Amino acid sequence: MDTVIDRGAPKARNFEPYASNGGSIVAISGKDFVIVASDTRLSEGYMIYTRKQSKLFQLSDKSVLGCTGCWCDTLSLTNIIQSQLKSYLHDHNTIMQPGSIAQLLSTLLYSRRFFPYYVYNVLAGLNENGEGCLYSYDPVGHCEKVSYTAGGSSGVLMQPFLDSWLGKRTVDSPVSEEEALNLVKDAFTAAGERDIYTGDEVVYNIIKKDGIKSGVVQLRKD
Amino acid sequence: MEMKQHNWIPGNFKSVPDIGRSAQNDSVQHGWTPITTTTSVLGVVFDNGVALAADTLTSYGSMACFQNNPRILTVNKNIIVAASGEYSDFQFIRDAVEEKVRTEISLNDGISMKPKALYTWLSRVLYNRRTKMKPLWSTFLVAGIQNDEPFLGQIDKLGTAFVDEQIACGYGAYLALPLLRKGIEEKREKSNSKLTKEEAVDLLKKCMEVLYYRDARSHDKYQIGVVTKDSVEVLDLALKPTWEVAKLVQGYE
Amino acid sequence: MALNYSSIDDDGAFSFRNLERNSKLEKMGLKMPSFRKTGTTIVGVTTRDCVILAADTRATSDTIVMEKNCEKIHYIGKYMHCCGAGTAADTMQVTRMVSANVSLQAFKFPDEMVPVVFAARSLRQYLFKYMGYVSAALILGGIDDNGSHLYSIYPHGSIDKLPYISMGSGSMAAISELESRWNENLTEEEGMKLACDAILAGVFNDLGSGSNVDLCIIKRDGTRMLRNYLTPNKKPATSKYIYPAGLTKVLAKSEIKFQITEETVMEVDA
Repeated sequence: MDTVIDRGAPKARNFEPYASNGGSIVAISGKDFVIVASDTRLSEGYMIYTRKQSKLFQLSDKSVLGCTGCWCDTLSLTNIIQSQLKSYLHDHNTIMQPGSIAQLLSTLLYSRRFFPYYVYNVLAGLNENGEGCLYSYDPVGHCEKVSYTAGGSSGVLMQPFLDSWLGKRTVDSPVSEEEALNLVKDAFTAAGERDIYTGDEVVYNIIKKDGIKSGVVQLRKD
Repeated sequence: MEMKQHNWIPGNFKSVPDIGRSAQNDSVQHGWTPITTTTSVLGVVFDNGVALAADTLTSYGSMACFQNNPRILTVNKNIIVAASGEYSDFQFIRDAVEEKVRTEISLNDGISMKPKALYTWLSRVLYNRRTKMKPLWSTFLVAGIQNDEPFLGQIDKLGTAFVDEQIACGYGAYLALPLLRKGIEEKREKSNSKLTKEEAVDLLKKCMEVLYYRDARSHDKYQIGVVTKDSVEVLDLALKPTWEVAKLVQGYE
Repeated sequence: MALNYSSIDDDGAFSFRNLERNSKLEKMGLKMPSFRKTGTTIVGVTTRDCVILAADTRATSDTIVMEKNCEKIHYIGKYMHCCGAGTAADTMQVTRMVSANVSLQAFKFPDEMVPVVFAARSLRQYLFKYMGYVSAALILGGIDDNGSHLYSIYPHGSIDKLPYISMGSGSMAAISELESRWNENLTEEEGMKLACDAILAGVFNDLGSGSNVDLCIIKRDGTRMLRNYLTPNKKPATSKYIYPAGLTKVLAKSEIKFQITEETVMEVDA
């Protein structure tokens, strides 16, 4: 039998402009708070670049952006947002509200519709009334207001877990800050067990009226 | 090298050094392949500075082409940079960096670039080029002193940038990084402190030896650059490898 | 219509008939199912008087950990064990097969130890025959009347006999540890420590490797298999999640009743 198989003869290496650098994000919003968390492992292939790279970017004292995916795109995107917000602040002498940032981010992402920022975004903030609000994005700028979300390399592992506990919550039984934090920690613990790109540490930001509280939880290091 | 001179402000978002034809109508050229390459660079932070190590070999394919080609660049009194990957891209960046430093010196205001500034600049340059699909096929390690604190960062050909206490690129990321992490971890567990300069240099020497044994594109002559608050020095070193183990390998069955 | 089995020239080996078709379909965009791989760190170390094998315990499928505590050190014979990396099924089958041959050999020549090279050759010849399609990367270690032996066997059927070896996706992390610390006068304890450290380098630096460290020490006076010798990656405590029963709505029920027509009780020798 003639089995001619392409054994992958040496070819010119093609340039691949994207890399998948792993990492996950979980965010839960409540009545007067919003919590957003990311792991701190930055990796590519089977290699860990660093164990302490937070993927949370503070945009103002009321909003934090979580970004994972292609790290070089993440860096660029967050730089652009931050400089835009700075000029907004200087133009209007007020910080931009999360709802406006959400629209700005969507526009920025869509501006690269055919060479996208390969980034999964979650924007967490407190709106004008001090309520937690959360926006979840796809890489080309589709924006959805949600009450909780999980994304990144372990998004598909953590989202069903959140669904099963938060999916049927009504206005009468809102999620408490403590419960939300526990869910976030446990979602990451479970994801760290099964996803090779999630691990090392979790950093979380709890945004409330009186400021942003942050903390670190240890995950598996292997 | 030609820097775009019009409206050039240091650190300007869009003024990154560029060569070749414009990428505007560039739908054909996608694959750039590194030709003359260099292998791993290692970097480690110690208590009052940073050390980088890189060998002096430049390969042309599998040929050990230029055996005395240093690639640790002393930028100014508190920054050193080393690169791995395509050597010509390193030379291009080196020229651009030297230009920046000359501009700075001629201002004569006593202010000099800090490592984080160079790190960010490099990340923008490399990201800009990857977005044009004309990458600079190199990975850079930037080491220096930022406001009295040691700084070590890596930027790769996509613009992926991060900061850590121990970094290795190329083959070193697989072979040397485990040893670097372990060395730092052990010291922290033993005495809750960072490595001293001597320990850091010894650790790098050990890693370079392992790399010489296992990385086919490595070389036994190498440099270690050390930057501290008071000094920048680049040492020329040579390995003394032992091949005693070869006597134990007899036949294959 | 029944398949015409006689058309398959069956010599007891695998059929490669569809290989070409499949590779063409893959080029056209067919996604083939992924196998469970043991993205692995495995090492073998010889010391003064024993052979030590060590392995991590993570099995992955793409980026998901499929098994957190799998066994990668396979039994071959009384004084022979084999670490496997690659496709989990291949390493298991290959080592099982050779293990059977080794025990047959032991029955044939009860007065001598089965030579390690016997297992090494069987593995090599089998893997060479399948030209790398049986993707097992193995480290075979053992002791026989000629002393201690350590082999690495690659999927294409090449073989190396070396004093220290690592394989798998974490092989480079492990070899850095071995390369900087191995010498020919290691004691058993030093050898165990070195093998463990090599695996740990893989566990913590290679994403394909993880969880625990298994160890196997093969000596003239017996083999010690130390399963889960180190467990550095325990799961952090989490809250209890109890889902109330009845969350899934039952829409319809149906019952099948068996009619017992005959009852037989058989006595079995205890």
